[in-house]
Amino acid sequence: MTFRDKVLKGKFVITAEVAPPRGTEWESVVEPLKPLKGKVDAFNVTDCQRSMVRMAPLPMAKLLKDSGYDPVLQLTCRDRNRIALQSELLGAYALGVENVCLMTGDFTTLGDQPDAKPVFDLDSVQLIELASRLNSGKLLNGKELKGKVDLFIGAVYNPFAGPEPLQVWKLEKKIKVGARFIQTQPIYDVKLAKEVSSLIYSLGAVPIIGLLPIKSLKMANFMKKLNPTSVPDSLVKGLETAEDPASYGWEFVLDVARACLEFSGGIHFMLVGKVRELADFIDYLKNHRDYSVKF
Amino acid sequence: MVTVKLKPLGEILESLSGFERVFIVGCQLGSARCRNGGLREAYRVAGYLELKGFKIVGVKSPGGTCVLDRLDHSARSLLNEIREAADVVLSLACGAGTQLIAENLPIPVKTGVTTLFIGAEREGRYFEEYCIACGDCVISNTGGICPVARCPKSLVNGPCGGAIAGKCEVDPNLPCIWFKIAQRMEQIGELKKLRKSVPPKDYSLSVYPRKLVLEE
Repeated sequence: MTFRDKVLKGKFVITAEVAPPRGTEWESVVEPLKPLKGKVDAFNVTDCQRSMVRMAPLPMAKLLKDSGYDPVLQLTCRDRNRIALQSELLGAYALGVENVCLMTGDFTTLGDQPDAKPVFDLDSVQLIELASRLNSGKLLNGKELKGKVDLFIGAVYNPFAGPEPLQVWKLEKKIKVGARFIQTQPIYDVKLAKEVSSLIYSLGAVPIIGLLPIKSLKMANFMKKLNPTSVPDSLVKGLETAEDPASYGWEFVLDVARACLEFSGGIHFMLVGKVRELADFIDYLKNHRDYSVKF
Repeated sequence: MVTVKLKPLGEILESLSGFERVFIVGCQLGSARCRNGGLREAYRVAGYLELKGFKIVGVKSPGGTCVLDRLDHSARSLLNEIREAADVVLSLACGAGTQLIAENLPIPVKTGVTTLFIGAEREGRYFEEYCIACGDCVISNTGGICPVARCPKSLVNGPCGGAIAGKCEVDPNLPCIWFKIAQRMEQIGELKKLRKSVPPKDYSLSVYPRKLVLEE
């Protein structure tokens, strides 16, 4: 069953993030994913994340697909105007890349080429609406398209961002104009993951909770700096006292993952380093008598 | 107002190298207001250039260097005055004023400033960009606060996911303008209006160079 089918049928999905290479050596990105084949439902291909140049996400998504993985093409508004975004999405569908996750994108000056011209012709809501428009057989200007487009559209949500209620309203707008699944920023708190899941369900989309394994205290502090309320004190304390912080951080995230099976539509692993461990964890979930029914 | 920033004196000096008789023109609108190109700054630059051996043949700052009538009035033409006395102009007016001088004089015109933005002034020393002249003003719908100019991503459908603890992801010293907009809309009882999706902006309205022609 494809990622799309699973989401639509209410099955629990597991996605993971893949960053295209800074260069052309795509094999070195795809090769390590082997243990996850048939286990992770789809791989999000990032779009020059943190505004640093990498291989374009569409060719990388196509290469992944040809290698037997279901990709989710991430597309941002940072580098492309509405003309480029429409043509990119048409190209994606023609290449068999059907899943897309659409977002505004990080700002240019945060990356390693801060002198670049930022675009932001559209915002995330307008980009999602544009993709829905393509699905209805029309361009943004109303002109008819030749051939069918049937993109499976997703979006993102950061529960730690403000102000209220504008973030929730923006999420609502995204879902109203066509987002079917929502991938969140990393969440380490089960209670919050549950609240976010029910919010997204109530607005009419499927929640996929973001999980980012913390490897060290240093990384936790870095995350805290970016997003002060996102890393709970209990996690920081545990990392401080753990003999092996990396495995503590990993287990912490797996606990959240197990909890998500009870109330969410899926989980999204960002920054997958422990490929073998993740494969084992997915096997464990799928064979567990309490969880197997969810898949 | 249009704000400008005086260039480093060394850079100004370099741009004038090879010339002798310099006429300095400031502007009493934006340039003077932000104290980077008014009469006071023009005299300061003049003093510096004199020390460096230039002959300063005039220092003037009309109230609106970007208005041709002010530069070239039939009774008293600043342009004629310059033409007769100088072999180069140093303008401290904004880009518009400086270009207007240049296209109406046969001699070289150098700029001593960089034009920054359309901004508002507080306490006589804080200048902030409030408007990018997008040609399609939306502020009636956002509590009189412009997200197009004051959000680096020009987001019109609400804040991005980088708006953490009231701060902008682009610069932690910059408050996220959507917090201000939300507060203001709440205050005036219009918060719910922000729940409505805003369609893509018509950027054909900001394709430059733009024109405004008044009816006779």
